[in-house]
Order: sequence, then structure tokens, then C-alpha cells
Amino acid sequence: MQNTQQIQNQAETYAFRPVWLRLTVQMAALSLIAGVAVLLAEVLPFQLEPVIGRPLSILLVVVPVLFWLTLSVLPEYRFARPRRRLIGVAVVSCLTASAIGLPLVESFYVVDRWLPLQSVFARVIGYTFTAGIVDVGLKFVVLRYVIYPQGLRVRSDAVAYAFAAAVGYSFYLNLAQIWRMDPTWDVAALTVLATTTIQLASSLFIALGLVESYFGDAFPLVLPTNLFVAAIAAGIISALYPGFISGVLTPAGSAARPLFGLAMLVAAWCLSMGLTYFLYATSERREREAFGGRGDFDGV
Amino acid sequence: MEFETGRSPAIQITPRQRWSIAFSYALIVIGLTLGVNQRDSFLHQTSQYNNFEAGISASYPARWLLDESDANIFRVRDMSHAGYNTEIEVSSIPVGADAAERNLLDRISMQRAQFLVDYTVLGYDAYSLPDESQAIAMSYSFVWRDASPFLNSVSSIVNGLDILTVRRGQALVISFRADAAVYDRELQTLSAFLDNLQF
Repeated sequence: MQNTQQIQNQAETYAFRPVWLRLTVQMAALSLIAGVAVLLAEVLPFQLEPVIGRPLSILLVVVPVLFWLTLSVLPEYRFARPRRRLIGVAVVSCLTASAIGLPLVESFYVVDRWLPLQSVFARVIGYTFTAGIVDVGLKFVVLRYVIYPQGLRVRSDAVAYAFAAAVGYSFYLNLAQIWRMDPTWDVAALTVLATTTIQLASSLFIALGLVESYFGDAFPLVLPTNLFVAAIAAGIISALYPGFISGVLTPAGSAARPLFGLAMLVAAWCLSMGLTYFLYATSERREREAFGGRGDFDGV
Repeated sequence: MEFETGRSPAIQITPRQRWSIAFSYALIVIGLTLGVNQRDSFLHQTSQYNNFEAGISASYPARWLLDESDANIFRVRDMSHAGYNTEIEVSSIPVGADAAERNLLDRISMQRAQFLVDYTVLGYDAYSLPDESQAIAMSYSFVWRDASPFLNSVSSIVNGLDILTVRRGQALVISFRADAAVYDRELQTLSAFLDNLQF
């Protein structure tokens, strides 16, 4: 109670950059690009030459970062008190994915050798406790040491920084995957959307945990529970996406179904954002009611 | 421009928050450990093979394909990836009382040289089986190319190891073959296979 009073006494009002709407715009734009790429690949009667296709695929890796820089980072500096550590969080997350995340999942857990052949349920559990927990753990550690608690002034800060971690982390995963696989540009667009969606979904649950823990001073198990849910979200999307994008195996072979994959990814990020926003808004409303209406905005 | 009420960044974290961070680290460590456990249980899952006629029983990786259709006693192959499928083949050759193990290996080599591209014997060595009985091992390599003309795959080097031991008037040959790129890693599978092989 003493801590809560201390918090109340030191509260002040900031001008802030809205987060949720911009986040939605970025994901919608990314989905639109993937959709256009898929449709063009279906309609166009020819394949792009590798000399054009490869640079185009690599360029697609940079698109989420460009969106984020344009819509989230640069506008911050029009305000008196911007979120100064956004780029730092993204860069450290990217380096963490490169140094620890990807090597751990690929070389230590060797998921490609045993997970893709399992049943859907086993794949969900498998991805949750390998790639999911690695990604979530690393992003949590980055956020803990870069922004927690000094960088958290308002609730939406946690969401903005968690998204920065998702953008940085997914940038390296996308780059490594597309550099190695050298896919056609429509597959590259879907891969970028898939990785960004997985990282976004898990980051939002991490943000929710940080918000509840720091601003709500919640029960100590709330933050780890949110991290666990974040890993499960990553596990579910990672396990289901290949099933949606690959056609049913028949004696005549199997054809890719990129539109199914795209629809699944759009549904996944809409669902995860909708759910986390609902919980975020509910928790904020609860706190506002508890403290007599201080702070009139919900950060949308 | 919108406004939100925030708190001063100078505030210290509360004991509850400290505990929640500690529990979070604990969750991550437990999750990573469960992942290792899951990986091991899937990768080391085995199926049992029994051939009472030949007096052989063995445990082979559950993901591998068992094939008893050839002249050999049985063969198991890892079909889960593209390229050369890592395989373990067990075959028996009836031998006389004075048969030399080295001669048997030479005979196998001569047969193989007729249908394997660039088949080269790399060397012979003594080999101790898990039951401490002695065997002779022959390592070799050859060039493999996918049989399908539609795949346009690049040739790859395959390393092989034959382990031959003579018991009860029969020579048992355990042949292990894998792409040179994964050969060292896959030797663990052979080692686990030999640990459970009974004949």
C-alpha cells in the first residue's frame, strides 16, 4: 500500500505517442504487401529472374523495420519526452537473436530434425518449449535490462518497447532464413509476415506481463504466466503455419496454398492483438477506477 | 497529441516485482530444460526389431524406415531429409571355419566397386563391440547421385563403415553409411544401435 501511495505521489502527465493504432497499421501494411506478392505470383505467368528476385526478397526483410522506423520511431522525436530506447531495444534484440536465439534453436535443439514430423499437438508443445521459450526468454531479458523499470513511464511504453524487441528479433530471423533458403519473393513476403507475427504475438504477451507487474504491482506469478502464454502463442503459430501453407499430400503431389497461410497469419496477429489489447484496456480501466480517475487515456 | 499519466522513472521496483522477475527467470530455465528433455525423447526414441530366424534383435531410431525386402537381414534408413539417407544395414554371410575376416571385407569391396561410383576403401581397423568382443572395421567412401533425373541434384560424398564379426559359422556385417557432411554426427546413432544389438 505504501508503494502504491508512493507511485501516486510521483505520478505526472506526459504527452505520449499512441501505440496500438500504429502497431495495427504496420501489421496491416505488412499483410497487404504479402497479399499483393502472393496474388501477383498467382497471376503473373512468369517467374522473376534470380538476379531480380533475390534482391527483392532481401528487400522484403527490411520492410517491417522501415515501417517501424517511419511510423513508430521517428514520430517519437516530435515529442518533448520520446521513448529514447526504442532503437537500442531493437538492436540488442537483433544481436541476441543472432548470437544466441537462432544458434540455440537450430544447433542445440535441432528442431528441424524432429519437430516437423510430429503431430500438430506435439508440434505445438515442441515449438513452445524450444523456439518459443528461447525467443520469449531472450526478449524478456533484453527488456528487463534495457528498459525495466527506468524506461517505463506509461503503460503504452511497455507495448512500444516490446514491439521494438519483436521487430529487431524478427529482422535477424528473417534475414537468416531468406538468405539461406533463397525463396521466391512471394514466399519471402509470407516468411517475413510469419516471423513478424510470431514475434509480435509473443512480445505483446510479454508487454502485458510487464504492464501488470510494474504498473499494477500484480501477484508475482502474473509476469511468468504471461511469459508462458507468450511462448505458447509463438508455439501455436509456428506449429500451425506450415500446415496451412502446405497443401494436402495426394498421389499427384502437393501444391502450396499461400492464401491459406496468409489468412491464417492475419487471423493470428488480429487475434493476439485483440486479446492483448482487451486485457491491457481492462487492466488500465481497473487501475483508473481504483485510483479515482487519474489518467484519462488508454494509450490507443 | 494525447496524454497519459505516468510515473517517475526513479521509482524502485517493489518486492513483488522482484519476485515476479525471479519467477520469470525460473520459468525460462524450466522451459528450456523441458525443451531439452523433449528433444532427447523424440530424437532417441527407438523401435524394436526381432528376427528369431537369424537370432538378431536390435533397437533402431523410431523415425527410420525398416526394410527387410533385400538380401540382407534388414536395413533401416532415415528418410526424413533430402539427399543421401543415412542407413544401417545388417547382413550375414555363411563362412567356413578358416575364413579370414579381411578376405570377407575384400570380397564385399569388390562387389561394391562394380556399382558404386568412385568407391574407395579408406582403411581397416580393429573394432571393439559393446560386449567387448573384437571385430574388424572397414571405412570407405563413394560418390552418390540421386537416381531421379528430375531432381537435378548435385552429387555428394558418402562415408561408410563396415563392422564385421564372425560367430557360430556366420559373419555378421553391420554397414553404416551417411553423407560425409553429417557422418560424424550420425555416428552417435550407430553407437546407440550397436549398444542394443544382440546376436
